[in-house]
Amino acid sequence: MKRETLNVKRRGCRAWVTLLCVFVVALSQAGMPVFAQTDAQTRTALAPPQDVRVFDTPSDGGGSLTVLWSPAPDDSAATKYQLLLSEGTTAPDTAAMKVVAEIPANQRYVRDSKWPWWTRPAAKEEHQFTLRHGKGIELKDGTSYLITVARVLGDDRAIATPVQVTPQPNWINWNQMNNLVLALLFGGIVFYSIGTARKREIFLRRIPGLAAVDEAIGRATELGKPILYLTGAHDMHDPSTIAAAVILGRVAKRAAAYGTDLLVPHRDPITMAVCQEITKQAYLEAGKPDLYKDDSNFFITSDQFSYTAAVDGIMLRKKPAANFFMGSYFAEALLLTETGASTGAIQIAGTDSDHQLPFFVTTCDYTLIGEELYAASAYLSREPVQVGTLRGQDIGKALILGVIGIGTVLATIGVLFDAQWPQVFLDVFKDVK
Amino acid sequence: MTFAERMLKIDRRIIFLVIGLCTLLPLLYPVGLPIKISPEVRGVYDHIESLPEGSVFLLSLDFDPASKPELHPQAISLLRHAFKKNLRVVALTLWVSGTGLADQIITQVAGEMGKESGKDYVFLGWSPGGTAVIINMGQDLYGAFPADYNGKPTKGLPVLQGVANLRDVNYAVSLGAGNPGVEAWYVFGKDKYKFEMGGGCTGVMAPGLYPLLRSGQINGLIGGLRGAAEYETLMGQKGKAIAGMDAQSATHLAIIVLVILCNIFYFSLRKQGKQQGYSGA
Amino acid sequence: MIFLRRQVPLLITLITGLVFAAQYYVPHPASEQMLTSATKWLQIIGGFALVLGVSSLFHVHAVKIRRKEAGWGYSFVLYASMLGTIAVGLWSNGKEAVDGAMTAFGWIYNFMMVPLQGTMFAILALFIASAAYRSFRARSREATVLLIAAVIVMTGRVPLGEYLIPISGDLSQWILNVLNASVRRAILIGVSLGTVALSIKIIFALERSYLGGGKE
Repeated sequence: MKRETLNVKRRGCRAWVTLLCVFVVALSQAGMPVFAQTDAQTRTALAPPQDVRVFDTPSDGGGSLTVLWSPAPDDSAATKYQLLLSEGTTAPDTAAMKVVAEIPANQRYVRDSKWPWWTRPAAKEEHQFTLRHGKGIELKDGTSYLITVARVLGDDRAIATPVQVTPQPNWINWNQMNNLVLALLFGGIVFYSIGTARKREIFLRRIPGLAAVDEAIGRATELGKPILYLTGAHDMHDPSTIAAAVILGRVAKRAAAYGTDLLVPHRDPITMAVCQEITKQAYLEAGKPDLYKDDSNFFITSDQFSYTAAVDGIMLRKKPAANFFMGSYFAEALLLTETGASTGAIQIAGTDSDHQLPFFVTTCDYTLIGEELYAASAYLSREPVQVGTLRGQDIGKALILGVIGIGTVLATIGVLFDAQWPQVFLDVFKDVK
Repeated sequence: MTFAERMLKIDRRIIFLVIGLCTLLPLLYPVGLPIKISPEVRGVYDHIESLPEGSVFLLSLDFDPASKPELHPQAISLLRHAFKKNLRVVALTLWVSGTGLADQIITQVAGEMGKESGKDYVFLGWSPGGTAVIINMGQDLYGAFPADYNGKPTKGLPVLQGVANLRDVNYAVSLGAGNPGVEAWYVFGKDKYKFEMGGGCTGVMAPGLYPLLRSGQINGLIGGLRGAAEYETLMGQKGKAIAGMDAQSATHLAIIVLVILCNIFYFSLRKQGKQQGYSGA
Repeated sequence: MIFLRRQVPLLITLITGLVFAAQYYVPHPASEQMLTSATKWLQIIGGFALVLGVSSLFHVHAVKIRRKEAGWGYSFVLYASMLGTIAVGLWSNGKEAVDGAMTAFGWIYNFMMVPLQGTMFAILALFIASAAYRSFRARSREATVLLIAAVIVMTGRVPLGEYLIPISGDLSQWILNVLNASVRRAILIGVSLGTVALSIKIIFALERSYLGGGKE
């Protein structure tokens, strides 16, 4: 009893002292901003992070864990969240767990993560943090870890119950499924279009650059001068080089039929070997295998400007009547085409190097822009497979154009009427892209 | 042949001479016009500025001596900035013909800033494979470069402590004059191994990289000599790029004047043609 | 023979094409390891391919020297400089500098290769000027729009232009960021679709002419 009375008395005394202290502190800090008072209030009621969930990060190569937790109503930049990690399965003293990350409490939400909507692990307003192996964090696949989140305000720290989890590598990246679906859809469209092209004829727009191929070869034949054909700066990994090699086959066939010399200097030895085969086959198909020269395809160097100097030299010495620049090009483009223009040759370029297009357009007689390079083999051969593929590409482009159009309209409506609903559709488009 | 026709068919060596003089004279007598900073250059500068001390900064010098006038000043400024911020610099080149140049640049700036090879920076040199090197570095940096340019084993170098692959890089900048360059580093590096990245390139390539910039695939772009001059201005150090800006101003102006002249001659010729056509009719 | 020259390469293309397309969707370390191994193979094949290239170069120029074709002297210079550089490079262990001292290989690099390459790139400025003078004419409405845009960008990208016409800097920035970037994206979309379509054709052997033309 006594003790109790004493306690009550002490509590009463303590309460008065506390009240006095609060009053003094309140007076002394009267000039401070409001948030400081809020901090002082929250300090007394610091709750640990709620609803902490930890799981192996899906769709990754392992060595990574994702932590989710609910936001507190008074989250601000002054409050921090710490992520605590410890190896093993037994719960250690949570206060002794290693702090592997610290973030302001008003950052790192599910909405900030780059996961698309179909793999989003929780509502957008939840907190999300992905721990990855490296940069001071050790996360081994197959090893169990205990992870938790602490809420920190000044010297106070409230820690949630740790969760045990094991990182694992995954076999499928679900985040990239949009890409797979679109690739399969586009592949399906291409195959369908090829099927259609086999059944009926498809109209092909005239491409002046390709219509001029015959004219250029004819001119070279008349003048008794060679044709110069370049396959670009890249190796056979690049589709533009493959397209250039395919067109070389058509050009070589016509050159063989007319009996005109063909010069194909290369920057890549493998491309040279492939082009030798293509040229040989073209001469065979044209019925002129005796005219084929192994030296028509030759390697110069893989160095950009040494190659350019050598080809410019060939242009100035041999004065080819027709120059073809197909494939991918960089700064050498203008050096080549301007020298070609000075020799009076008819010049046809075809490139997907959009940064060099202005130079080709300015200095060449005809330029195949972008995908026209890929359309060239269809145009020259008129085979259903090639023409069908072109139709497939056009359908694909129409689809993309349609989505861009709808997206633009929705975004404009959203801005004009200050509406939020178009954003939902725009987010869907953004993730599917 | 009329005057306009003669002028339109002018010997191109005269144009070469005009451009040559416009380059040479401002270099001999510099004016020093103020340089405005573009947001894309500031993007790279601000990101490096925001990196904490000891962060891993990867610099890929993907150019050869041909692009030296534009990319050399960019590399110098970036390295000075990185060393000033005490970042751990990992440098390499994907262009074999640029190896010597890259080594010279790094050795020069490291010497200036009092940095030590192996401790503050490492020059990995060149490895064959182009884009394949980026993929290999993404998997295992020590597998792609078992030794640095000087033949020292990379494993155990203090500068690479805690760096296993590209995922451990805090910021990467590719100074590219072509392929492999900025685009290759984005496609095979950043997109796969998730690190922040900026770029630098020759002036002629810069417009082609704007789509990457606008979509946030790179967070900044130093374009050509102009970009290098902007970076030098941000660093407060006058270098070769600022010195070259007057020459670039003069050549741009010369080309504009040439284009205007050629159009005046072209229109006067067309007018003459029309008048002759009417009189003929 | 046809089987080895046709069917086997097509089968290899089909299998590797599908496997590496699938690899993009498999994040497991085993899949990444496979990609790394394949890139190493490519590096090795690339190294051997250089032998192919150099032998072609030697052959072409040897024929020129033997037949004393026009300009055979250049071929001789090529032979001498190539063999000389290889010898010096081997002697210097492929290093341009050792402990800050320039090697003989470094001398070739610094005093031959650097100025020669710099000269080639510098010619670009001259060629841009001459090409612009010759071709940049307001022949049509489209050409006029291009001409005006080019003049604005050229003015706005240099300090003198910004000094003379202050708004040109912002205008050129807008042209590059909005007009230029959107047009390039349009071209890129077309190019990318073309690339995917060509890849599909190659993987499924619908396009075989890269193997040497013909349709067996």
